[in-house]
Amino acid sequence: MPDFTSMDVLGAWLSIFLTLCILSFLFEDNPIYKLGEHLFLGVSIGYSVVEIYYGVFKPNLIDKLFDREAWQAADGWNAADTERLFLVVPLILTLLLFTKFHRKYGWLARLPVAFVIAAYAGVKLTGEARAHLMTGIQQSMPNLKEAWAQNLAEGRETTLRVWGENGWTDRVVTGTCLDGDTWYQGFWCWSNDGAGVFSAVVLVTGLIACLLHFYFSAPHNRVMRGVSRFGILILMLSFGASFGYTVMGRISLAIGRAQEMLGLDKSAELVAARNPKLATLLCLGFIILFLGIWKKRGGGGDPDDGGGGSPKTKDDLPG
Amino acid sequence: MYRWFVRFQNMDRRWIFLGMAIAILLPMLSPSSASFSIDRPVRDIYEKVESLPPGSTVYISADFDPGSRPELEPFYRAVLHQLFGRDIKVVAGTLWASAPPLVLPILQEVAESHGKVYGTDWCFLGFKDGKELAIKAIGENIPKTFPTDFYQTPIEELPVAAGFKQLKDFNLLILVSAGFPGIKAYVLQVQGQYDLKMVGATTAVSGPDYIPYYKAGQLLGLSAGMPGSAQYEKLVFLDAGTCSGFEKTFLNSESCVRAGHTWVKRPPKVMPERLLGIEALSVLNLGHLFIVGLIILGNLAFFVTRPKGVE
Amino acid sequence: MRTTLPLVITFIVGMIMLGEAFIPHWRYRVISENMFEWGLILAAAAFLLGLINLVQVNLPKVLRRETDWGYKAVMLVALVATLIVGFAGGADRLNNGEAYKWVFDFVFIPLNATMFALLAFYIASAAFRAFRARNIEATVLLVAAIVVMIGRVPIGEALSERLPTLVNWLMEVPNTAARRAIFVGAALGAIATGIRIILGIERSHLGGD
Repeated sequence: MPDFTSMDVLGAWLSIFLTLCILSFLFEDNPIYKLGEHLFLGVSIGYSVVEIYYGVFKPNLIDKLFDREAWQAADGWNAADTERLFLVVPLILTLLLFTKFHRKYGWLARLPVAFVIAAYAGVKLTGEARAHLMTGIQQSMPNLKEAWAQNLAEGRETTLRVWGENGWTDRVVTGTCLDGDTWYQGFWCWSNDGAGVFSAVVLVTGLIACLLHFYFSAPHNRVMRGVSRFGILILMLSFGASFGYTVMGRISLAIGRAQEMLGLDKSAELVAARNPKLATLLCLGFIILFLGIWKKRGGGGDPDDGGGGSPKTKDDLPG
Repeated sequence: MYRWFVRFQNMDRRWIFLGMAIAILLPMLSPSSASFSIDRPVRDIYEKVESLPPGSTVYISADFDPGSRPELEPFYRAVLHQLFGRDIKVVAGTLWASAPPLVLPILQEVAESHGKVYGTDWCFLGFKDGKELAIKAIGENIPKTFPTDFYQTPIEELPVAAGFKQLKDFNLLILVSAGFPGIKAYVLQVQGQYDLKMVGATTAVSGPDYIPYYKAGQLLGLSAGMPGSAQYEKLVFLDAGTCSGFEKTFLNSESCVRAGHTWVKRPPKVMPERLLGIEALSVLNLGHLFIVGLIILGNLAFFVTRPKGVE
Repeated sequence: MRTTLPLVITFIVGMIMLGEAFIPHWRYRVISENMFEWGLILAAAAFLLGLINLVQVNLPKVLRRETDWGYKAVMLVALVATLIVGFAGGADRLNNGEAYKWVFDFVFIPLNATMFALLAFYIASAAFRAFRARNIEATVLLVAAIVVMIGRVPIGEALSERLPTLVNWLMEVPNTAARRAIFVGAALGAIATGIRIILGIERSHLGGD
């Protein structure tokens, strides 16, 4: 039997109990799940506040502004002191934020809000323009000659005439494709994940087609409809791939919990001390018992509230 | 048959939950190993880290929480083992409030297993709120943004972090990011402006969003989800064998060691007891097959039961 | 005054942030660095506002014994307890043996992680119920999803060594094309919204009078 006088063992059993509390939601929304949910809310907000205080307020405001040694230093007034003095501004703005709760002076809270919104708007604007517009579009423009030459058989050299700082120059590009001398080399290379002229063309035409699909200001005539249709197909391929990755991500999270409940994520000594499998069995038994008693006493409402069932016939479907 | 499909379509979804639970638990109770290859974006991260000379310093932004831990912790541990194993110094920070209690103990554990000293070989600067503004501030002036580390020690007193004013002063940025703020915010706010060398690991959900950054060269490598983490674990801990010509010539010579007439991969200095990413990958097999099976059966039921001429 | 002053601040701060991307002069950098720091502090303060609001809403409900008051009491007690152990721990709060670390390891981690783990089950249910090949577009989406799901795990590689390559191609070509198109659209929207905010055309963030 595990040593329950040890905080570590107690904590491990509590951890498994809380995991099963949340998982009980799969059966139905129930009091034990609600307990876990509200506990989580309280603890997570508490953690955020503590970390915000020690991560931001203390080092960047309180310690700097109220650093007696720095203020009383004998090196005279310098740039650091000016910077420190200006920290009064965010202090005042922070205090103004709390006037939100005052009926008469609540409008003063708009000043710090305006500061924050403007700061974020400014940095977001330039960031999006540089990273998404400029770089994204620039990198989408295909260099077909280079795409061809790079995806020829490994070692095969091609001399390309390129325009650079010193005008037209010759550049030697070596092929990197490990497929060997195939008839489609240059167009498609399996070992380079399908890189080649074909992929470069699909990338740029797909990008243009998707952009044109979103361009609703122009009438969608026959040509536009065809291009738009191609754009939709590209979008569907992307969303399908996204869904596949999302499924992978979600299952991974469940795997993580299962690893902990079965004791597969810790060292052998720790697992022996904590006995997580026993904890899982006992806590599961307790929760099943609780849910059984709760249901018998008339607990739970609509079975579709949370876990729950589904319409039994088509007549039960809405509409 | 028709009635069976109708009942199948309308079954209580708790049966699906039970099936999913079995699909996850069964492979865990009877574990098996599965072989898998390494994707190019993941290998690029590995080779980028391997090409750093010993004594370099990297900045790690570890922005994940317990919700994304199964996907990112294996990568985080593996890359820390790789860095400390190659005597590369680490300065870490985070932009997520719930990250420090998760990120710091792991960093501490791996550093101590390699005999690394806090302040000299690694440090943890702590959490900074502000999302994009925090990233801008870190990119522009690290000592001003992090005047102290997590333990309230002034940054000037930490040899590993002193002398680094901006993110571009680091040899490499490693972003372990579960969402926002994370890789996207770093790419938008600082990568282009300072021409930073960045590699990233992210959750599977965000993977498709960040692949365009890898394609555009804004990220030099990308690991997405648990498969990415498992591949990275394999590269760092298991991928023993002979060194390729590229590895001998272009990577740091410490990656490869002489063994008779051949060059073989240097074995890891510290081998963890468990490789959780690789162990989890075989579980994903059955989970994915279960969902694919559900989709196919669901569509079959849909086509069998739908009235003719109706979509 | 109530509207003008915030708009003036919005304009000045917004223009300084815009200029930061273009002006490398050291005096300008000093100003922008300070603005970043002030922004961090204010963003953190906004979170505290949320905390006060949470207590303001829930504490009266607990005191008046309204519906589900017990759960709200649990939430408030958990909040206060976490704050106490956090501030008591100070800079050493994450050392082994500290209560703050114990609560994080054995309360926060299982609750947070399991909340997200629930999604695995719901995505299975959603995939079964809603994922239907009703038309060509939906079929393309479905086929792409299945190819990715099979190709990304070891079983896909065992079925065919071309499958992982196909998945990587899907991610690096069509997915990149579609994402970039979405990013371009979103960037144009963000630029337009940013300019509107800085110029004071967009005022919703200031609230009503």
